[in-house]
Amino acid sequence: MSLATLKVAPGFMPYMPKEYQDLVEKGPYGRQVKVSELGTFKEILEEHPMCAGCAMTLFIRLSMIGFPNPEHTIILGTAGCGRLALTQASIPFVYGNYCDTNAVASGLKRGLEIRFPNQKKDVVVMAGDGGLADIGFAHVMHSWFRKEKFTTIMLDNEVYGNTGGQESGMTQKGMVMKMAPLGKRFEKMDMLGLAKTAGVAYIARIAPTNPNRVVSTVRKAVMVAREIGPSFIQAYTSCNIEYAIPTPKVLDDARQVEKDRYGFLEIMTDEAKAYLEQIEPKKGAKAKEVAE
Amino acid sequence: MYAVAQVDISICSATSCRLCTQYCPEANTILYDNKRKTAYIAVDRCKGCELCVGICDNIAKHRAIKMVPVTDVHDGFEMSKYGFPRNGR
Ligand SMILES: Cc1ncc(C[n+]2csc(CCOP(=O)(O)OP(=O)(O)O)c2C)c(N)n1
Ligand code: SF4
Repeated sequence: MSLATLKVAPGFMPYMPKEYQDLVEKGPYGRQVKVSELGTFKEILEEHPMCAGCAMTLFIRLSMIGFPNPEHTIILGTAGCGRLALTQASIPFVYGNYCDTNAVASGLKRGLEIRFPNQKKDVVVMAGDGGLADIGFAHVMHSWFRKEKFTTIMLDNEVYGNTGGQESGMTQKGMVMKMAPLGKRFEKMDMLGLAKTAGVAYIARIAPTNPNRVVSTVRKAVMVAREIGPSFIQAYTSCNIEYAIPTPKVLDDARQVEKDRYGFLEIMTDEAKAYLEQIEPKKGAKAKEVAE
Repeated sequence: MYAVAQVDISICSATSCRLCTQYCPEANTILYDNKRKTAYIAVDRCKGCELCVGICDNIAKHRAIKMVPVTDVHDGFEMSKYGFPRNGR
């Protein structure tokens, strides 16, 4: 939603909800806000009912700072915890069925390119590991094979959080969950490898331990999807309920998991790399980088 | 009864740290006042997760945030009452 769309006729302004007036007057539109400015401008994300201390919430909040052009962004989500916050933001949200996010996003992106030939519109899928790696798997893979130009962000809490603790393809082997009492029997799926095989232009794995890095990774992924091809971020966003992490320890857990097995990783095609160097010439991200 | 975060302004304003504003999982819940140079809490938005206490104690090493029973907060800022602060608080 562009700021011009957000603004109402001046006579109506006093009757709009406070939150709305705040967005128009103190929102982040028309400029690239920085992480260090947080707390001094009205965020696009509103209050929402996700659990206290949920790392997924933190990741979503930072992602919305990372979107290069939030007023021209559309989010596609589905059932799962993330949508509880994603729906409470001043960014149009399309609720896909649980599985078809990437099919809907494909059609939406193509439609937008025809409808708005002079204005780039960014489409971002944000959904859980269950939504993307299990039931939406075929749609995700085929959108990548077709080189659809949008970003897929997996909110990987390694469980079906919203429905109370079933294992997902992204749960680690051996993990005992409320509804996987014998422990998961199979390995965590290698979605990064699958994305690479499918030719995704920019792939990243990240934990929300460094706000600036989350913001820059999301920005890179959206920019690559705008100009080059599909992008994919797999983000560790622990479920403190299903993994019994005391909320004051949520970031300690993220740091530990990042250190042990979820370190920041970027994989990109030569074309994506050249494009990112062109738009951000001096930035050298300290990630292990695997150029194809 | 539940607890919410409270920033000790005398400690926070002696730094220019802002770290808690970046790690709070909730949007516009830890705000920053550029005039008083301090973080402060929108009491009605704080869910009491205590993430900010860990950040302030262990990463920033300022120990400026404590959890307090919500009934002990006097003159706390409430976003739903005032809206987003225009020129600091
Ligand atoms: C087709 C279909 N099957 C099942 C469900 C029920 N359902 C809602 S949320 C959910 C699990 C969500 O898990 P995940 O996608 O990992 O997201 P999380 O809640 O963990 O963030 C399920 C199975 C549904 N809404 N639609
Ligand atoms: S159930 Fe888990 S993933 Fe869902 S909001 Fe709560 S802590 Fe976050």
